Amino acid sequence: MSAENSPAERVAIGISFGNSYSSIAFTTGDGKAEVIANEDGDRQIPSILSYVEGEELHGGQAKSQLVRNAQNTVAYYRDFLGQEFKSIDPSPCHQSAHPVQHESTIAFKIRDTTEEKENAVTVSIITTRHLRRLRNSASDYLGKSVNAAVITVPTNFADAQKDALNKAAKEAGIEVLQFINEPVAAVLAYDAQPEAKLADKIVVVADLGGTRSDVAVVASRGGIYTILATIHDYEVSGFQLDQVLIDYFAKEFIKKHKSGGDPRENDRSLAKLKLECEAVKKALSIGSTANFSVESLANGIDFTSPINRTRFELLGNKIFAAFARLVAHAVEKANLDPLDISEIILAGGNSHTPKTAAAIKSVFPTTTTVLAPSTSPAAINPSELSVRGAAIQASLIQEFDVEDIEQSTHPMVTVTPHLSRAVGVLCISPDAATGKFHAIVDAETPLPVRRTAIIATPREGGDVLVKIAEAARHIKVTKPQPKSKPAKDDDDSEDDSDDESEEEEDEELREQTWQVGAVLSEAALRGLKKGAKVEVQINIAADLSVNAIYREVGGKGGVRGILQGGGAKAQNGSA
Amino acid sequence: MATVQISLPLPVLPEGWSGEKDFKPVGQLSQATDRNIEPVGPHFLAHARRQRHKRTFSEDDR
Ligand SMILES: Nc1ncnc2c1ncn2[C@@H]1O[C@H](COP(=O)(O)OP(=O)(O)OP(=O)(O)O)[C@@H](O)[C@H]1O
Ligand SMILES: [Mg+2]
Repeated sequence: MSAENSPAERVAIGISFGNSYSSIAFTTGDGKAEVIANEDGDRQIPSILSYVEGEELHGGQAKSQLVRNAQNTVAYYRDFLGQEFKSIDPSPCHQSAHPVQHESTIAFKIRDTTEEKENAVTVSIITTRHLRRLRNSASDYLGKSVNAAVITVPTNFADAQKDALNKAAKEAGIEVLQFINEPVAAVLAYDAQPEAKLADKIVVVADLGGTRSDVAVVASRGGIYTILATIHDYEVSGFQLDQVLIDYFAKEFIKKHKSGGDPRENDRSLAKLKLECEAVKKALSIGSTANFSVESLANGIDFTSPINRTRFELLGNKIFAAFARLVAHAVEKANLDPLDISEIILAGGNSHTPKTAAAIKSVFPTTTTVLAPSTSPAAINPSELSVRGAAIQASLIQEFDVEDIEQSTHPMVTVTPHLSRAVGVLCISPDAATGKFHAIVDAETPLPVRRTAIIATPREGGDVLVKIAEAARHIKVTKPQPKSKPAKDDDDSEDDSDDESEEEEDEELREQTWQVGAVLSEAALRGLKKGAKVEVQINIAADLSVNAIYREVGGKGGVRGILQGGGAKAQNGSA
Repeated sequence: MATVQISLPLPVLPEGWSGEKDFKPVGQLSQATDRNIEPVGPHFLAHARRQRHKRTFSEDDR
C-alpha cells in the first residue's frame, strides 16, 4: 500500500471509532476542534454498513436497514478487530449480521454485491469500508483529500487490535499518526479550551457508550496525563437503557392490543422497537416528555405511547445506580477517595441522560465537579469529546516525521518515575504536629518537575524557616459526637433526641488532610520586610534529587539548596 | 503551571538554627513509582522534547 505521506503532504483529522457511533473532526487554523457532519448531516455517525442490491449504505441510512435487511447489515464490530472468534462476545450483533469464524479471523456472511450469493466479508474489510466512508466525508467537507488521522481507542485495546485497525485504516488510505486512549482524548478536549487553566488534579473520565462502559482515573499534572486505574464493563451500557424502554413499550402495547402479540417476539417488530426506543431515550435527554410512535409495530398495528422523564428514570433506576457504582469502583481501584477527585468528565452518548449525571454526582462530594450537559454549563458535548481530543492531537503532531512520533511514544520516553508522596512546605510551625502542610508538588506527578510557590510570612517579617517535607494524603473521618443521652433524666424529650442522633449517625465528617512524613530540607531566609512574600522554586529530577531556590519576592539574593537523589543519604550540613 | 499561592505564613526561624549557607539537607524523597505517561497533548510534547534533547526546564525556557 501507499507509503507514509511526508509531513508536508499530510491532511490529518481526528477519528473516534466506536462500536455504536463514529465521528470525524479537524482543527481549525486558530486551534479549535470542529466536528464534521457527514452528507446526512450527522456528527454521530452510526458505525454501520448495509448492502441493498449491491449498493453500500453507511451510517444512519445503514442503521435504518436493521428493520428490513438485518442480515445484510453489519453493526457493532469494532471490538472484534484483531481478535480470535473464540474470544469475542457476539451478543451485540443479535439483530444484525452475525459474526462467524473465518480462517483465523472473523467475518460476516452478507450479500454485498448484486449477485445472489453470500460473501464472507472480514471485520478488517468492513472496518476499511467504514473508515473510507468517514475519510470521504471529511475530504468532501474540507475540500482536500484527507490522508492521515489520529484515532481513539479504548485503554484496553490490545496491540493486536491496534495492528488490525492500523492495517484497515491504511487500506482506506489513512495513515494512522497515532492511536490515543479515549479517556485521555476527552481530558485533552477540555484542556484545549481557551479558558482552561492548567492545574494539578485527579480527573475521572466515565465513558458510557452503547455496548460498553469504560472508566479511567487520570492524574493530570501540569497538562501531563497518567492513567492510574481503569474499569471496563460490557453489561452496564446504553443497550440496557434501551432495553428497559423496549420492555416498557412492549408491555404497554400488549396491554392495549391484546391480539397484537408481543412485539419482542418478532424480529422486525423488535428492530423497530429498538430503534424507536433509542430515539425516545435521546429525546428524554433534552425534553421532559417524549412520544413513542411506530407505524405497524406488530401485526400491522400502529402504536403511539407517551412517556415522561420521571418514568424513564424509575425504569432505568438500577442501571443509573450501576453507572455510579462503576465510577466509584474505579476510584477505589486507584486507591483514592471520592474527596480526591476534582472533576468527573462524562463522555459517551449516555452521558447526555440527566439521570446518569445525577446518579454519579450523588456518590461524590460537592467539591467534585461533574462535567455533563445537565450538570455544568461548561460541559462539552459528551459524544464529541474523543474525536475533539483526537483532532487536537492530530494538529499537534501532523508535521512530525514518523520516526519522531514513534520515538516520542516509545516507553523510553513515556515510562517515567512519579512522586509517591506530595512535596510541600510546613506553614505556621516547623513542628509536624502543629504546623500546617501545604503541597507544592502533588503525589503522582511525573519527574522531572518544576513548581513554584509564593508563601506568606509572619506579620512582622523577620527571619523565617522554610521546611520542605513529604506528606501522604489522609482522609480524616470525624464521627458525630454521640449525643449526650438524657438517660438519667428520662423525661419525654427522649423520642426527639433519638431521632436526631439517628439522623446524624450517617453524617460523619470526611476531610482531606495530610500526614507529614520525612522532612527533606530546611532553609532560612533572614531579614524579611513586613508583609514580605517568599518564593520557593522546587525542581525534582528523575533521580529524585531536589534543587530548590528560596528568595524574598522582590528582594535580593536568596538561598539555594541541593538534595542528592538516589541511594546514599544526603549528609547533613554539606550542601 | 500556575504558581502555587500559599496564604498561611511560614514559621519564624527557631532560635539557634544554623545551616551552611542557610540550607540544611535533612532527608530524602521516598522511592518513586514508575508509571506510563500518556503521549498526548502539548505539555507531553514539551516533556518529550526536553527528554530527547536532554534539556532542563530553564534551558527549555530560553
Ligand atoms: N442524546 C443522547 N441521550 C441519551 N443517550 C444517547 C444520546 N446520544 C447517544 N446516546 C446513547 O449513547 C450510546 C452511544 O454512545 P457513544 O456514541 O459513546 O458510542 P460508542 O463509543 O460507539 O459506544 P460503544 O463502543 O460502547 O458501543 C448509545 O446507547 C446511544 O443511544
Ligand atoms: Mg465509546
